[in-house]
Amino acid sequence: MQYLIQLLISGLAIGAIYGLIAMGFAVIYKSTGLVNFAQGEMTMIVAYIAWTISTTVSGNVFVVAVGAILTAIVLGLVIERVVMRPMLGEPVFATVMVTIGLAVILRSSINFIWDAYPHGLDLGVGRDIVRIGDIGVRTGQMAVIATLLLLLAAVWAFFRYSKFGIAMRAVAADDRTALLMGISATRVHAIAWAASSVIAGIAGVFFAISYDLSPAMFQLGLKSFPATILGGLDAVLGSGVGGLLIGITENLAGGYLGSGMKEVAGFAMIIVVLMIRPFGIFGERDIERV
Amino acid sequence: MTLATEAAARSEQTAPAAAHLLEFRNVRIVYDNAIEAIRDVSIAVPEGGIVALLGSNGAGKSTLLKAMSGILYTEEGVIENGAIRFRDQEVHRLAPDELVRRGIVQVPEGRRVFPALTIDENLQMGGYTKTAAEARDRRDKVFALFPRLFERRDQIAGYMSGGEQQMLAIGRALMTDPVLLALDEPSLGLAPLIIDRIYEVIAKLRDEMKMTVLLVEQNAQRALDIADYAYILETGRVVLDGTASKLSANEDVQEFYLGVSGSGRKSLRDVKHYKRRKRWLS
Repeated sequence: MQYLIQLLISGLAIGAIYGLIAMGFAVIYKSTGLVNFAQGEMTMIVAYIAWTISTTVSGNVFVVAVGAILTAIVLGLVIERVVMRPMLGEPVFATVMVTIGLAVILRSSINFIWDAYPHGLDLGVGRDIVRIGDIGVRTGQMAVIATLLLLLAAVWAFFRYSKFGIAMRAVAADDRTALLMGISATRVHAIAWAASSVIAGIAGVFFAISYDLSPAMFQLGLKSFPATILGGLDAVLGSGVGGLLIGITENLAGGYLGSGMKEVAGFAMIIVVLMIRPFGIFGERDIERV
Repeated sequence: MTLATEAAARSEQTAPAAAHLLEFRNVRIVYDNAIEAIRDVSIAVPEGGIVALLGSNGAGKSTLLKAMSGILYTEEGVIENGAIRFRDQEVHRLAPDELVRRGIVQVPEGRRVFPALTIDENLQMGGYTKTAAEARDRRDKVFALFPRLFERRDQIAGYMSGGEQQMLAIGRALMTDPVLLALDEPSLGLAPLIIDRIYEVIAKLRDEMKMTVLLVEQNAQRALDIADYAYILETGRVVLDGTASKLSANEDVQEFYLGVSGSGRKSLRDVKHYKRRKRWLS
């Protein structure tokens, strides 16, 4: 029983990281209609920058957090302006290919700018273990789960109630008509990229605190993608929950079926879920009136 | 204050003696650097009237509206020559949102409501350039004009009938508080009874709200019944223009656009042939 609970908790913690990255996917998809395959790479870059800030400027948690969020915003805006905006109006397939190219460039830049060795991001927080009965939980794990839940609530309210959130959905559905209503699609896209980059960056920093930084971190993106598909590409909330589900599934499969199953479990679950609900658990069916 | 007096009051302040509210002057539009969609078209829309743009598919009617709204660039279209003037100012280089702020708005062809958004959210998007208070005010007026939208305000727009979607699309455009409202084929795909209702609303916008309307239609009969003045476009050129009553009486218009045949039934082949000859000779 204790083993099970321990597996569930660490599954939730890694799942929260997947969930955050998956939300990043969904935010961009929901407002631009694109799948950004560079999401994992953006996560990694921001984590590396946070590490650089911690080693060169200050190891203070707040300094690193503010610095990481600011650089994430800049990263998102620059990618949108330089890479994505020229692709506006081009076929979706071509644009998605561009994000794959971007992913490769960002991935390689780690080796150019930093190095190929793993690093620990030690901010002096998140590694303490809190004991609840027999169960040990790291504070970092609790913090990332709490952060995911908070962000889920915030993002849900944003898309549901704020004029700008509704405009993002409108632009995703039909950007030309949105233009006709005076909604600036480019501004909406820029903000979506910045927001997505910040969410990805938060995930990266949490991951680096709990585990380690390494040039293989971009694989987080690949692992989070099933979470987005599971939750529904257009469902930001669903993506977050999908992340938790994938995390738990992985951990349980790894714990009970052997570590080889850990990598496969998430994807196996996707296949089953998509056969039953092709638009994801929380995704919206395309509305087609006959 | 009603929609009418508001729009009227505003136009008095800012445009003292503009002969025409909107003007296309010798406009030439080219797509993809290769395809000439509009050749030397001049169209004038006087304030407070309804001007109809008629013509068959591909004549360039929608292209003109896209140019007016500043969204040609999304289709690689460019105004190569000429100008579009609104209240005696050149506006064809302005961004779409700036044009909306100045009071130019269009209801796009095929209605184009945001399908996954509720009716209320669709209207909110129409009021995107307005402050929250202004938008609420406008929305009440739109609900007064279309009580049906009020009844269904929390429903998903994509599930509404075609006629309701057209009303929503018009309501959404009215949210921008327009001076000039352009409608691209408002009767497209609707039942005759619904079309009657839509045209009643258009008449109301002109008569009670003193709005200027630019009406693009394939349904020439309907458009000529309501319009003051009309232009007929064919392959990117204005081939005929005049008051609506004059055009309705014109033999060629009757023959080609109103389906009235003066000399008994003709085969389609004859008509096409005649039409082609006529175009070349003119």
